[in-house]
Amino acid sequence: MAIAGNLEVFNFIDIFQILKKDKKDGILVVENESRKFAVYFKEGNILYIREVAKIFHIYLDVKFEEVLEKDGISKNDLYRVLVAKLPLLLAVKKGKFSFTPGFIKYPDDIEPIIPIEKIMMYLSRQLTQEEVERKISDLNLVFEKSDNWKLIAEKAHLTDTERKILDYIDGEKTVKQIMEEAKVKQLTLQRALYGFLATGLITRKKKVKRKIGFNLTKNLLRKIVERIKGL
Amino acid sequence: MGEKTQKQIKIVVAGPYAAGKTQFINTVSEIQTVKTEAKTTKAGEKEVKSHTTVAMDFGKITIDDEHVLYLFGTPGQSRFDFMWDILGKGMLGLVVLVDSTDPSTFHEARKIINFFESRYPAPFVVGCNKQDLESAWDPEDIRTALDLDEDIKVLPLVALDKESVKNVLLELLEEIAKYVH
Repeated sequence: MAIAGNLEVFNFIDIFQILKKDKKDGILVVENESRKFAVYFKEGNILYIREVAKIFHIYLDVKFEEVLEKDGISKNDLYRVLVAKLPLLLAVKKGKFSFTPGFIKYPDDIEPIIPIEKIMMYLSRQLTQEEVERKISDLNLVFEKSDNWKLIAEKAHLTDTERKILDYIDGEKTVKQIMEEAKVKQLTLQRALYGFLATGLITRKKKVKRKIGFNLTKNLLRKIVERIKGL
Repeated sequence: MGEKTQKQIKIVVAGPYAAGKTQFINTVSEIQTVKTEAKTTKAGEKEVKSHTTVAMDFGKITIDDEHVLYLFGTPGQSRFDFMWDILGKGMLGLVVLVDSTDPSTFHEARKIINFFESRYPAPFVVGCNKQDLESAWDPEDIRTALDLDEDIKVLPLVALDKESVKNVLLELLEEIAKYVH
């Protein structure tokens, strides 16, 4: 199954959300007309970013140590390289992406240094109005904190404004109410909520009771089921 | 008994532009889907398909002498969202379709879910169409992209395949059954 698409309609936060959720290992390839990046993921976090001349170069090395050796990088340099390459990667707004799960074998003693949640919140602060409305399209939406929100908040390095917004999320207040009570601009709030959702800090409030708009009996439902089965 | 006295049961099939709603309905409808199409004129849409649904599509499945199930397909583009409101009223349940090969449709699907959840919170399932194509995203990854909880069914779908469409409808009916007493 593919995880591939176009950055203009599916941005880095959205991609990282997918990769973080299942703690995926693999290589994310990002390419536009002028640059090609291979982003190495371990358990849903970015471990290393490599710029390549040709896409097939990425798939020549199966062991991560071989990648580092070819690039002339030691394990101790990983943080420095990541900090240097990350802005270059995140500056790519147009182009294609595709994720190859697995493929690369990581040694056990290498762990990601920058939490992906921190990168996602950083990116959320730059979202456009059009982008935030993809997830926060309705001011009547209600959110609640997830079970492990404290742990995620620690990794996400929230700003004071984001922490304030998070305090207002209680499973009762709508986006509109939070905006009025916290006295924050709509776009600021939408950006924070987008980031919170993507990092898993918050979830959409579950509907306690759904309603069906027809007086349906069990007998009629059984008939409908049988009819559909018999089609 | 004539159709005029039959009670109409409504399931709404919503989803982004070109997600396969008309095909989904066509696959199981006992009548040729009644289409309300217009020529696609907008740049970016013309390249995807030549005609698009502007009001609604509907298909029909007769249940018995007294009841008929209608499948209403909503227009995909959000500029026709006034129709979502009309179709949402009185629905039994909702099927939201996405094109599994086109992540740009996931965001639009989320907006559609937001719309119906805030106004007509009926039971719903998500059908991930075009699962027969190599570039299709896994339904579980689509669940994450749509920010959906584990208790919402996100189902693989090939709208051209009758058994696949039936499966999505039966899964929706299973959800609906939870609210029938």
